[in-house]
Amino acid sequence: MKYRENVTSGGAVLWLFQRVTGVFLAAVLFAHVWLLHYLLREDLTFAAVSDRLATPLWKTIDITFLVVALFHGLYGLWIVLEDYIHVGWLRVLLYSAISLVAIAALVLGILTILPFQGEVSSIWQ
Amino acid sequence: MANHENKTLTFRIRRYGTGGKAHEHYWQEYKVEAMKGQSVLDCLNEIRFKQDGSLTFRRSCRSGICGSCAMTINGVSRLACETQVMTLGTETVTVEPLKGFRPIKDLAVDIDPIPEKLLAVKPYLITKTPPPSDQERLQSQAERSRLDGLYECILCGCCTASCPSFWADEKYLGPFAFLKAYRFIADSRDEGEREHFEALDDKHGLWRCHTIFNCVEACPKSLNPTKAIAALKRELVKNRIG
Repeated sequence: MKYRENVTSGGAVLWLFQRVTGVFLAAVLFAHVWLLHYLLREDLTFAAVSDRLATPLWKTIDITFLVVALFHGLYGLWIVLEDYIHVGWLRVLLYSAISLVAIAALVLGILTILPFQGEVSSIWQ
Repeated sequence: MANHENKTLTFRIRRYGTGGKAHEHYWQEYKVEAMKGQSVLDCLNEIRFKQDGSLTFRRSCRSGICGSCAMTINGVSRLACETQVMTLGTETVTVEPLKGFRPIKDLAVDIDPIPEKLLAVKPYLITKTPPPSDQERLQSQAERSRLDGLYECILCGCCTASCPSFWADEKYLGPFAFLKAYRFIADSRDEGEREHFEALDDKHGLWRCHTIFNCVEACPKSLNPTKAIAALKRELVKNRIG
């Protein structure tokens, strides 16, 4: 049985990145709950939320969150699938499917985040 | 020799390749009059010697050194010689071969993958500088004590047989190979980090460990492969990025 197939699997960098993004997501989740539910307590209206989302800062935060969450979640899913799927063509199929989902969700997410141009309220300027 | 501490136990054994059923698993039960202090291996010997000479299992040292009698006892990978039947606390003792390994006959499994996986991590001291001319390669006491908990592995396979990553991928190197690799990477005299890492940084290697801790629970020598794997991951990331 052959135990060495791919000497430089790149596993080290991806493994580290998965940990870093995990910590980032936990931090963003905590910041979200603390900031929006305890500190700001903005009005739960479309106008208030779209005002906030219209600022470059929140657009940057949300797009970063989108990219990181998509990578972390879908790479995590790929790790699970890689454990159990050993058939070559099925791996290619699933990897392609995951990549397509990633691209579709990324495009859809960016299309949702970018267009907000509400009347920017003073607090975010 | 009946006394109040004797107890009749039922041994439910998962058998394979015997009794005219060439490639079929089936269960067979035996009654054993067990005494306090008796090991599962003692009971299996009693079945083999007195009831059914066809029952097949490996054993050698019967004192927890050789690792031959590793098997699944009441669902857990253990050494039969180190497991006292009375401490299991069940009337029926279920004995199965090690999980994930190819069965050969009854409780004996094909253990060829163990040396193969072991050799893949180059489990020996690799040096590049010549040794001192007047003495051996010496270690300080502190350097030597770093190897405690790493060198004691008896290669019984209990850790690997209880690892879900191995169940899913028979080529997965397994906890014992990682423990052994780290035993050399952590050795102050070793200069072959790159050579040891080669097999680890592989799609059947280190990154398939998901820190499940089953290996730690199973190890009959109370070693901690998961801790060694965490240390290896740290070392490998440092090696690749730093």
